[in-house]
Amino acid sequence: MTPQTSGISSDLLWNLYRNSPEAVLFFDAANHIIAINPAAERLFDPKLLSRLSSGGNNAFCFTCRGYTSEEELMSCLNCYLSSPARDFASFQLFLETKERGLLPFSASFFPIEEESGIRVLMLRDLTRPLMTQDSLNRNTMTKSIIKAQEDERKRISRELHDSVAQELISSLVDLRVLKYLNVQDEALQKIQQTEASLTRLLDQIRNLSVELRPASLDDLGLEAAFRSHFKWIEKNYGVLVRFTAELNGTRFNSEIETVVYRICQESVLNALKYADVDEIAVRLFEREDGLELIVRDEGCGFDVNARDPKGTGLGLYGMKERTELVNGELTITSEPGKGTAVHLRIPTGKAAAAPASGDPGKSYGRGEEK
Amino acid sequence: MHQSSGQYQTILDQLREKMGYDFVSLAFAQSEADGFVLTWQYASGNLNNRYKRIVLQSGKGIAGIVYKTGKPMLVEDVADELNSGDLFNYPILISERLTSVAAIPLYRFERVEGILLAGYRENSRFTREGLRMLHAQLRGEFGDFEVKEMSVL
Repeated sequence: MTPQTSGISSDLLWNLYRNSPEAVLFFDAANHIIAINPAAERLFDPKLLSRLSSGGNNAFCFTCRGYTSEEELMSCLNCYLSSPARDFASFQLFLETKERGLLPFSASFFPIEEESGIRVLMLRDLTRPLMTQDSLNRNTMTKSIIKAQEDERKRISRELHDSVAQELISSLVDLRVLKYLNVQDEALQKIQQTEASLTRLLDQIRNLSVELRPASLDDLGLEAAFRSHFKWIEKNYGVLVRFTAELNGTRFNSEIETVVYRICQESVLNALKYADVDEIAVRLFEREDGLELIVRDEGCGFDVNARDPKGTGLGLYGMKERTELVNGELTITSEPGKGTAVHLRIPTGKAAAAPASGDPGKSYGRGEEK
Repeated sequence: MHQSSGQYQTILDQLREKMGYDFVSLAFAQSEADGFVLTWQYASGNLNNRYKRIVLQSGKGIAGIVYKTGKPMLVEDVADELNSGDLFNYPILISERLTSVAAIPLYRFERVEGILLAGYRENSRFTREGLRMLHAQLRGEFGDFEVKEMSVL
């Protein structure tokens, strides 16, 4: 080691070597490991270490799973140990560790004594930064999936409502005209049967369209969409939804309305799936700083911190993701035996309530106008 | 439950008692004007009144499937045979917490006009044999409805 240059003592260097969280390994000219620091000892298997220190050519290969090259994620081609000409000052390396299996490392490999050929390999654990990157990617991805799904639903629902159903209505009208023409009784009966089945078909198509995405949400707003949705819930599941709306027809931008609608839909569905109740209360109202939704049931409740969700556990995750789309805030309070409340707050200030690009005429009425 | 609702209620109560079912219910198809929807009109052994609010489209739910196919339906083990994510298409199973059910179509003038549902909550299971016993018990009729023999169906 170099003695004292510009304030650096060998004590300092020694402490750096002993206490650094980075693993440091020294290789001699024959690629034998001659020294490793405590951080490296913590990473690698003692058995492998002893094999490493007793030498044998390329003993480090038992631990190494390859580095990331332009061609491959884990490559052994032009290995850093055997290609002195190449620059390995900074690269990504995969190593087998004793406790946590295969881990990615940010590595640096360079000669420290030219004449004796001693080189040093320094390793920094990359797991955490890679995981952060991963979850960032996943969040962005979830948001675009939610958006894509909503757009697609909207398109198909519109198509069904505006073109398929309309075509069917005009056929029905034609059929009704036919009844007043001079036709035989037998034919008339058949016509009536056809009319009945077409009417049923029309109903089914309308139901499909509404289930995908209610047109009333875009045309009439949240209150109307909720009213028909809750009526549908009552019919389909026998659960009564007590709905209190205090918006007086106020409209918000379509992104906000969609988020509120979907979150409410999900909460109500959760309540009727898991809460074991006959009634669910939903309150939709406006505060000076935004729009709020409360879905409450007096059912069996659940432990909010439990890690064993009923169902897929993706529902609550999706709700949170949707909330983030509009900078909202979602609070779920529940306790076994005490029911559940979902409280959603969405700021409708100017920043959040920029007019929807698709239908500028439909977004009006902001919180601060009152 | 409701004394006023007449003969069907009495038949349901008697059937439940005699066969040891936990829950028995009767659904009727509504008129054309109402879009042929199905509603549970009478029930015996019900936990709550949610069944009264359920309205099924043809082809939806237990009653809807039996109505559309005209054939009996047997679910020996709800947890095993029906996908739990799919379970909410069968609201009566949820609201009455049924674990094993059978439903048979009731005919009038060669058309399915009603559906009889019988089920257990936990203590027993409905098997093919159980379904045969239910048919044997009904002896081809339920009130003024006709019950087809299983071999015919």
